[in-house]
Amino acid sequence: MSGVISIADVGKAFGDLRVLGNVSADIGAAEFVSVLGPSGCGKSTLLRLIAGLAPFEEGSIRFNDAEVTAPSPEMGFVFQTSNLLPWFTVRDNLLLGVDLDAAVQRPSDAAFAELVETLGLTGFEGSHPHQLSGGMRHRVAIGQALARNPQVLLMDEPFGALDALTRDRLNMELLRIWQRDRKTVVLVTHSISEAVLLSDRVLVMSERPGTIIEDVRIDLPRPRDPSVTREDPAFGDYVVRLSKLMGVS
Amino acid sequence: MSAPAVTRDHAISLGFFLFLGLAWEFGVRWSGVQSYLLPPPSAILAELWQSRGPILAQSLVTLTEVFWGFIIAVALGVPIAALIFFSRTAKRTVYPLFVALQSIPKIGLAPLIVVWFGYGLTSKLIMAFLFAFFPIIISTLGGLASTPAHLEEHFRALRASPMQSFWRLRVPAALPSFLDGCKVAMPLAVIGAVVGEFVGSNDGLGNLILTASGSGHTTLTFAALIAVTMMSLILFYSVAYWERFIWWRAA
Repeated sequence: MSGVISIADVGKAFGDLRVLGNVSADIGAAEFVSVLGPSGCGKSTLLRLIAGLAPFEEGSIRFNDAEVTAPSPEMGFVFQTSNLLPWFTVRDNLLLGVDLDAAVQRPSDAAFAELVETLGLTGFEGSHPHQLSGGMRHRVAIGQALARNPQVLLMDEPFGALDALTRDRLNMELLRIWQRDRKTVVLVTHSISEAVLLSDRVLVMSERPGTIIEDVRIDLPRPRDPSVTREDPAFGDYVVRLSKLMGVS
Repeated sequence: MSAPAVTRDHAISLGFFLFLGLAWEFGVRWSGVQSYLLPPPSAILAELWQSRGPILAQSLVTLTEVFWGFIIAVALGVPIAALIFFSRTAKRTVYPLFVALQSIPKIGLAPLIVVWFGYGLTSKLIMAFLFAFFPIIISTLGGLASTPAHLEEHFRALRASPMQSFWRLRVPAALPSFLDGCKVAMPLAVIGAVVGEFVGSNDGLGNLILTASGSGHTTLTFAALIAVTMMSLILFYSVAYWERFIWWRAA
C-alpha cells in the first residue's frame, strides 16, 4: 500500500554538494512522522522537496498519487522562523494562506473563531506580530497553516528557537490539535525527546548526504501528554535507542 | 521616559538655543561688527516680521516648485526603480544611464535648464526634480531588494501569484527604505529649486536672497534664508510624519 506521501530514491545536490541520497519513505494518512537527524543532514531540504518548493534530480515524490512539482493547496507549511508579515494583524496573518491561494476555501466565521480559540489567540486578532511573544508568534504561524485546512502539515523545526517551557506548551497544543483533526504531519526536528513525544514514527537520518537509516515506530499510548508520557519507561527506552542511532549516547 | 524627564530635556534644548541666540546678539553688538556683514538676530527677526508679505509670497513660489519637483521625482522614480529591479535589460541600460546622469554636477546643468525652459516655474521644478530623483530611485531599489528570502519562499509555499507577492510582500517591505529616500530627497528638492532660482528667475526665495544680498540688504538675506530653512524643515517633517504608519521598519 502506498501512503499519502511516497518518497522513492530521492537525491538532491546543490552544485557539487550532495545533500540527500537514496531517500525512500512512505507516510500514511493521519500519521505523525518526525524526521530526526544531525544538523546539516538535509532534513529541512527533504521537507522542502515534499512541499514542492525546490527541484531535485533523482527519484520521485508522490502526494496523493500525483508527482510533486509545485506547492499544493492540500499542504500547509510551518517554517523555522515564524515568518509573519509585520504589517498585517494576527487575523490577516492567520488568513494569509487562505487569501493568497485561490484553491483554498476560506474557513467559516465559526471555524475561524474556533481556530483562534484553540491557539489561545482570542483577543489578539487585531494585534500586530511585534506585539506578541515568541510563543504566540509561532502559534500564529501554525494557525496560518491550519487555516488552510490542509490534508498534510509540514513543519520545519517550528519550535527550535523557543525556550523549553514554551516549547512544551506548544507541543501539547500540537498534540491536542492533531488528536482532534488527525492530519498527516511531517515534523523536522533535531530534538529526540520531541520526536518521541509527538510521533507515530521517527525517521532517523544520517550525516550528509542524508539518507534514512532507521524507521522507528513509537508505540506509546495516545492521547499523550508531555508530563505523563515522559514518565513512561518506554519513552526513555525510545530516547536511548534513537540517541544511539544518532551517535550521541 | 517620564513626563518630567521629557520636560527637562525640552528645557535643556530650549536653553541651549536661547544661549546661542543671545551670544550672537551680544557678540555682534559688543564687537561692533557692521550689521550689513552680520546683523544681530533681533534685527533679522524684525525684518522677518516687516517683510512677511513678500517673504510669504516668495515662499509660496518656491514651495510650488519644490512640491511638483518632488511629486514628479516620486511618480517617475518609483516605477523606474521597479523596472530596473524586475528587468535585467533595464538594469544593464537604464540603471547605468541614471548613475551617469547623477554624476553630472546638477548645479552645472542649471544654466542649460534655464535656457531650455525659461525663467518660470518649469525650469525650477526640473531642478528640484533632478536633485530629488536619484535618492528616490536608489532607496526604492534598495527597498525592493530587501524582501527577506524566507518570506518569498513562504509566499511560494502559499501559492501566491507574482502580483500578490509584489503588492503584499515586496511593496510593504520596500516602504521603510523608500521613506528614508523621501526624507533625503525632500531637502534636496528645496536646494534644487533655490539653485534654479539663483541661476535665472524673477521670483522665489532664491531670487529674494540674491537680490537682497546684491543690494546690501543683509537682514533681508538672512530673513529669506530663515524662510528657506523653515520650509525645508517643515517639508522634511511632513515626510517623516508618515513613518508612524510603517511601524514594521524596526521589526
